[in-house]
This record gives sequence, C-alpha cells and structure tokens, in this order.
Amino acid sequence: MTTVNQMRAIHGDKVYKARPNWHAGLPLIPVFVFLALLFFFPVIQLLTLSVQTKGELSGVHYMRLFESDVYIRSLLITLKVSFYTTLICVIAAYPLAYMLATASGQTRNSLILWVLMPFWTSFLVRTFAWLVLLGRNGPINKWLQGLGLLENPLEFFNMVGTMIGMVHALMPLAVMTMLSVMETIDANLPKAAATLGARGGQAFWRIYFPLSLPGLAAGGLLVFITALGFFITPTILGGGRIMMIAQLIIEQVEQLLNWGFAGAIALLLLLTALVIFYLYDRLLGMSTLSGSGSADRSAAGGGGGMIGRGGAYVGGIFINVIGWICDRFGELVEVVRPIRPDRPRKTMSRTIMWITGITMLVFLSAPSFFVIPVSFTEGGFLEWPPEGFGTRWYDLVFDSPTWRAAGIRSFSVGVISALLAMAISVPAAFVLTRHKLKGRTIYMSLLLSPLIIPRILIAVALFYSYAYVDKFLRIGLIGSSLGLVLGHAMLAVPYVVVTVMAVLKNYDYRLDQAAWSLGANKARTLWHITFPLIRAGLLAAFLFAFVTSFDELTIALFVSGGLATTLPKQMWDDALLKVSPGLAAASTLILIFVTSMIFLAEFLRRKASKS
Amino acid sequence: MRIKSAIDRRAILKGAGIGAAAIAFPTVLVPRKTRAAVQLTVRDPGGPYEKAFTEGLYKPFNEKYKGQCEVVGVAGKHEPTSQIKAMVDTKTYTWDAALISQAAHDLLVADKYLDVLELKGTAYDEIKPEYKTPTFAGNDIYAAVIGYRTDKVKKPPKSWADLWNVKDFPGRRSLRKYPFDTIEEALMADGVPKDKVYPCDFDRAFKSLDKIKKDVALWWDQGAQSSQMIKTNEVDIIAGYNARLQAAIDEGAPVALEWNQNIAGVEGWVILKGTPRADWCRKFIALAMEAKSQAGWAPYLAYGPSNTNAFKFISPERAKVSGSFPEHASKALLIDNTFWGKEKDKAIDMFNAWMLKG
Repeated sequence: MTTVNQMRAIHGDKVYKARPNWHAGLPLIPVFVFLALLFFFPVIQLLTLSVQTKGELSGVHYMRLFESDVYIRSLLITLKVSFYTTLICVIAAYPLAYMLATASGQTRNSLILWVLMPFWTSFLVRTFAWLVLLGRNGPINKWLQGLGLLENPLEFFNMVGTMIGMVHALMPLAVMTMLSVMETIDANLPKAAATLGARGGQAFWRIYFPLSLPGLAAGGLLVFITALGFFITPTILGGGRIMMIAQLIIEQVEQLLNWGFAGAIALLLLLTALVIFYLYDRLLGMSTLSGSGSADRSAAGGGGGMIGRGGAYVGGIFINVIGWICDRFGELVEVVRPIRPDRPRKTMSRTIMWITGITMLVFLSAPSFFVIPVSFTEGGFLEWPPEGFGTRWYDLVFDSPTWRAAGIRSFSVGVISALLAMAISVPAAFVLTRHKLKGRTIYMSLLLSPLIIPRILIAVALFYSYAYVDKFLRIGLIGSSLGLVLGHAMLAVPYVVVTVMAVLKNYDYRLDQAAWSLGANKARTLWHITFPLIRAGLLAAFLFAFVTSFDELTIALFVSGGLATTLPKQMWDDALLKVSPGLAAASTLILIFVTSMIFLAEFLRRKASKS
Repeated sequence: MRIKSAIDRRAILKGAGIGAAAIAFPTVLVPRKTRAAVQLTVRDPGGPYEKAFTEGLYKPFNEKYKGQCEVVGVAGKHEPTSQIKAMVDTKTYTWDAALISQAAHDLLVADKYLDVLELKGTAYDEIKPEYKTPTFAGNDIYAAVIGYRTDKVKKPPKSWADLWNVKDFPGRRSLRKYPFDTIEEALMADGVPKDKVYPCDFDRAFKSLDKIKKDVALWWDQGAQSSQMIKTNEVDIIAGYNARLQAAIDEGAPVALEWNQNIAGVEGWVILKGTPRADWCRKFIALAMEAKSQAGWAPYLAYGPSNTNAFKFISPERAKVSGSFPEHASKALLIDNTFWGKEKDKAIDMFNAWMLKG
C-alpha cells in the first residue's frame, strides 16, 4: 500500500483541495432542488402515511413489521441476493473490464458493444429468454444431456437461476463503471514499477489494482443498490421461492391499497441500505469514491477512525500477499517454461484474463443471441428451437403505429432525461470529489436514495405532486412526456453521480492548474482538458441514465396513465397472456438500431479525427 | 477535400438531427387530437383485450355516438387500484371508467372511489346478480382451472384432489404464488365441498398445502409465465387462468383444461367517482353489457361473457373455452370477494410466511 500512498503524497490531493469556503457547495444546489421537488417532498409526504392510521399518529404499521417474521426474513433474503449478485458481478466484471481497458482501440470498441447487449433487450424479454434457456427442456440442459454429461436435467429455478438472471442484468453496470476508471489510469505506472524491479504480480496488485479501486467500489455500490429493488427476475427465475422485499411492497400498494404499511416496509429497506452504506463508507472507504480514502487517512495518521485505519491496514496486507502469491506462481511457471529470447513472451495472467473475459462476453450476449433467431419463429411463443422461419412478428411490429410511436417516444424521453440528469448531476459529482464538504456521506446518501425507494412508491408520490402542480400551473405533467422526462431524470441522478465521481477520483488536478496557468479560463479548461480526459466516465454515465429511462415501466404507467406509451409499457401490455415473439422482434430491432447508431457515431468520429 | 468531408459530416449530423426531431416532435409534444366533442378514456388490461374490445366495444360505441363522444381504450397495469385512487384523490381523470377485477372493485368501493352505475332499464338487467353490484357491471368471467400436458400426463387429473395426489398423478406441478385461488384449491383438495369453502379455514388450507409443498416444482407469479411454462413443458400440470393456458393450446401445445371445481372470478366496469363524463361512461357501460357487444369481443378473448345471451351469437367451439359457458359455470366456485375483502391482509401475510418457512 505504501506505493500508492507515496504516490498520493506526490499527487497530493490535499494540496489541490482548497479549504471549503461558502461557495464551494453551490453546484450542489441544482441537483438537490431538483430532487427536493421531484423526490424528497413527494416521497416524504407519502411516507408520512406510515406513521398514521385513520388520520391519527400511530406506530401500528411499524409494529406490524415485527409481528410476523415475514418482513425481516424477506429483507434478509433481499440482502443476501443483492450481496451475492454484487460479489459475483464485481469479480466477474473486473477481468473483463481490465481486458477491455488494455485492448487496442478498435478491438475494445467492438467488444464493448457485446457488453452493452443486455441493455438493449427489455428486462421482460431478457427474463423470459433465461426462462427458456435454463428450462428443463431448454437448450442448456439439452446440450449438456446430448454431450452425455447429464442424465436428468438440471434444476435452475432456484438461487442459481436468480443469480444468473441478476448478474446478467447488472454486470454491464459494473463493467462500464470499472472500465471508465481504468481508462484514466496511466499505462506507464505499472511499467515504471516494473523498471523498479516489481514483477508482474506486484506491479498489478500494488499499483494498478489500488488505482482501479474507485471503479470497483462504484460499480459494486451501484450493483448492490440496484439489486435491492429487483423483484421480477428473482420471482420468475427463482421458481417463486425467492421473495424479495420490493415485491411485498408492491403487494401492499396494489393489492391491498395499504400505502401506509408499504411506506413502513420501504423505510425499513431504506434504513438498512443506509446503514450498510455507512459501514461500507467507514470500512472500505468511499475511499475509493470520493475525496480522502482510508488509505490516505492512515498514511496521514489521522482521521478515519479505528475501523477505517484497520480496514486499510488489512487491505494493504491482503494486497501484498496476493501480489506475492502471483509472483511466486509466475516464477514457478517460468521454471517449467523458461523465458527465452527466441519465443514470444506470453504471460499466464494475460491468457487467463482473456479466457475469463471472453467467457463473460458470451454470457452477457447469450440471451440476445437467443432472442434474434426466436424473433423469426412462426410459432406464437418464445421457444427453442424456433418453429419455422418467417417475418410474421416483424410485420406485426412494423405495421403497428403504437409500436412505432412507443419506440420514438422511448428514445426521445431517454435521451432528453439522460441529458437533463447529466446537466444537474455532473457538477455535484465534481464538488463531492474535489471539496471536503462537511457531511459528505449525508449528501451521498441523499443522492443515492432515489435508487433505494421502490419505484412503485415513487410513482404514486409523483402522481400526486404532478396533479397538484397541474392544478396550479396548468402545465399538464400527467399524461405528457415532460412528466416522464423529469421522473426518469430523477431516477438517473444516482447513476450519474456515482459514475462521474469514480472517474474523477483518479483525475490529476494539476492538469487543470497547468491549463489555468497557461491562461485558459475555467470553462475552457473544463471543455478542453477535463471533459476529454474523463470522456469514458461521462459516456458511461449518459448510457446508464439513458437505459434507466429506456427500461423503466412503473413511472411510465403511472404518469402517462396509458396515454403516452413507451416501449417497456407496450411490451408489458403485449405480454399479458404470454410473452410473444413480437417482443423478441422488437428487441432485435432495438438492438440493431442502437448498434448501428453506435457504429455510425464511431465512424463519424474517426472520419472527423482523420480530417 | 478536407473541408468538403467536414461539411459532409455536419450535413449528415444536421440532417439526422432534424429528421429525428421532425419525427419525434409531433408525437412527443402535441397531445392526441380529439375529433369528437367529448373524449371518454377507459382503462382495459391491454394486450389481447385491446383488439377484442376495439372490435366489440369501442368501434360500435364510436359509430353509435359519432360526433358526440369518442371512446379510447388505454392499457393499464394489472391491478390499477393505486392509479384509480390517485386519480380520484387528485381529481385528475386520465381515465373515466375502468375494467377491473371484482376484488379490486371491493377495495376501491369501500373507500368511496367509485360512482354508482344507475343502469336499470339497460342490458345491465340481463346480467346474473352474482356478476354485478350497484357500482360494478360484470363484463367477463375468468377461471382458475387445471391445465395439463396430454403428451405427458397419462391419467388426466379431474379435481384439485388429483392435482394434490402426486402418487397416482405423477408429473411436475406449478401453482400460483398467491393466496387467492391457491387457498381455495388447497381446501377443495383436502375434501372441503364447494359450498363450504367460504369462510376459508386457513389452518386446514395450509396443512393441505404442506402436503404438496415439496412437489411444487415452480410457483408462478406473472400470468405470462404460466402460459410459457405449460407451452415449453417446463411443468406437466398447472393451476392457472383459462385464457392464459388457452393461449398455449391455441398455439398447438398438447394441453387440456379440466373445468371441474374451477374457481371463477369476475372482471367488470366501474366509473371513477367525480369524473365529469360519468353520463357518457354509463352509456358506454350499457352498451358493453349488451349480448351483441360481448359476442363481438368473445372470438378474441377466452374469458367468458357475463351476459350469457351472448352465447347465442358465439360459435359452439369458442363458447366451450369461455369461463361463463353454462356447463363450466355449473361446476364453478365463484370467488367470495366479501370474504377476501376482510381476510386479504391476513391471508397475504400468512401465505408469505408459509412460503418463507423452510
């Protein structure tokens, strides 16, 4: 760990961090005003129902939480599922992100398209794709049986299926966050370590890995919090036995119209999540995410407290041990296969990394490659193998004006809400990383909370606020795309803040200062120096914000009342009796459209940079 | 050359941008145009209902009242109770009337969110009394039935007791992960006669469920999941809704339905309290109650018409898949919503606790 600390000392975050003055926090105002209007105020109003029964103050709803063990048990299941999902996502995503970060430009860009594939398949189609793929008569079981590896089909619909579905849905989030941080790491640093005598293992674990930690932390945080709110994937792929707390909340809201109790459960979930966030911050350090990390603190010898310092110490030993093991292993390999100048130098770790990386890519794109052939079926169900070949389902999607309108609306709402979320959240991310504001953990918790409160409650709360605003200002937020844009931008705030904070963590502020000293003003510096350097992070943040809106169903249903149809809503309606291959056709079209847009952008960019 | 290519790029970008904006602009920003003096918005469950109701209800209504009122169907969420409550609370009538289950109706009417129908003297009178209340006009009957794969199940199950009998009726099973229907099924499987199911004896029901718990391969939650699982033969025997299982049969899956002891529920029209277009809602619901209208949508939807006179206009093959077909209706247990209204809270807690238990 010393290496990093010494580097930090040279980097000297502290030197560049001005003492907090009154106007340092100003850029936080837009995002907090926005969240106050669209989230805190509406949701708190709804949550006050949880301390009332029949209009009077009472704790009945909270007592009920502990009367039976259902809610606590379900909370524990939710935490367990989210924790394992996060663990697997982070471990599996890291080699993939590393592989992408170290691949050459061209290769990387085409591989990233594969990582993003799950994003373009609606969660409904994706989940049903897994339902078929993992089924008793599904291709995976059939192949394994065909190879003679299995006698009886494997039963996937339990914790295993749940994990597959959830990791698949959330891994792109982890990969993209890690990748955007890794892209800011100077490739010369591990080389410098090597010239100073570090072997591959030491150079990686003591130099590269600590520098990539902000991405790991941010990715893990986003995956964990997003996972807390999942319920459709676990219910369908868990065979019904995995009961997530979000589902209990939905039951209370929809089936029982008991918003007070739903609020109580939601508050239980929120508080638990915040406690975990606090411990995480203390132990691992948002270290890693915002300003001074536990590593810094222990080096400086002050602050951080026992837990933080202890964590950093243990972490340091852990990393040294892993580095040592890797190097001894490397030496062992060299004994078997000595390095000779006449054959190309291949390292084991690179091979392992590529194998893991490619496996992960295959895993991520598997449902998409299932959905494409299935969309050409002549049958009426998602099935493997598809029955016959025809474009019946494409005709259906193409001929329907509702599908077209829904597609256009989803794309425009997605882009506009993502831009809005970026505009208000990026300045906040800058402030939170650059300045030592008092109560930063509290600001962070508040910014993350839109991800933790279940969407159904946000949707109900938003409806009341919109209706109120409409009455007084006659804007027409309900049933309009504007209402949708605002709601979706609010949901995207946490993703943007966390992702941008992660890339800024490694940012060398001396570059900004160099620009200033050469006469550039702040705006020019931002535009010509800072933004280009953190481009990957900004792009990832934009992408997350876009996808949040693009795949969002609940708020779209509530706010639009069914008048302004978006793609997820259209898909959901269509899947009332069965999930038809029409949804697969729509997903394939989206996949093709988005991929070609990315290609076009890339092509134009390259053409521009050449000329 | 360089300058030219730069212009090209800009032109392309600009062109693409303007094009996209031109396509997006009207649909995004301009609200839907209304042709008639009044636009009535009614909520239906979407999907197959959309086509069925357009043919059977919306088109006839719009022709009858051309120029005066136009009805538009919009698809809403599965149980839109929260949405209706929010709309009435804030007097924001995105919808004027809605098709909802009787259970949802009971939840809403208790809190005075629905308007009285006052439809005496219309086709509403032809509807069986058990399918309607003063605030609820039954439109269609759905039923929880036993579905099984004819290619896998040699001896067809004839009752819930058979579904519970794993030894004599082997096969992978699936039940609904929800107390409604499942509790009734468990009681009937344990030998409770149809007319003694309500009020449900929960202890007995859960004891009965205990017997089958380990043999339930999958618990389904989303309706679409039940159709998918029987179609791909993920399970051999399933307790599910007739129309969802019919969707698999219509696609050629070797599946048969057993209607004995089917558990029937009603979906019907309600008017949101306080909507300024309540009178038009009444005219619309009156039309929806007519046998001719119901026969109009029946070919597209396997749920049964509440007005049994509609069977006069429906082909016999199609009539047989309807929940309200007299032969099925005579075997049915009609869900007692008054009972569930009182016990729902408790039942859901107990059921979830039972699911989580080992």
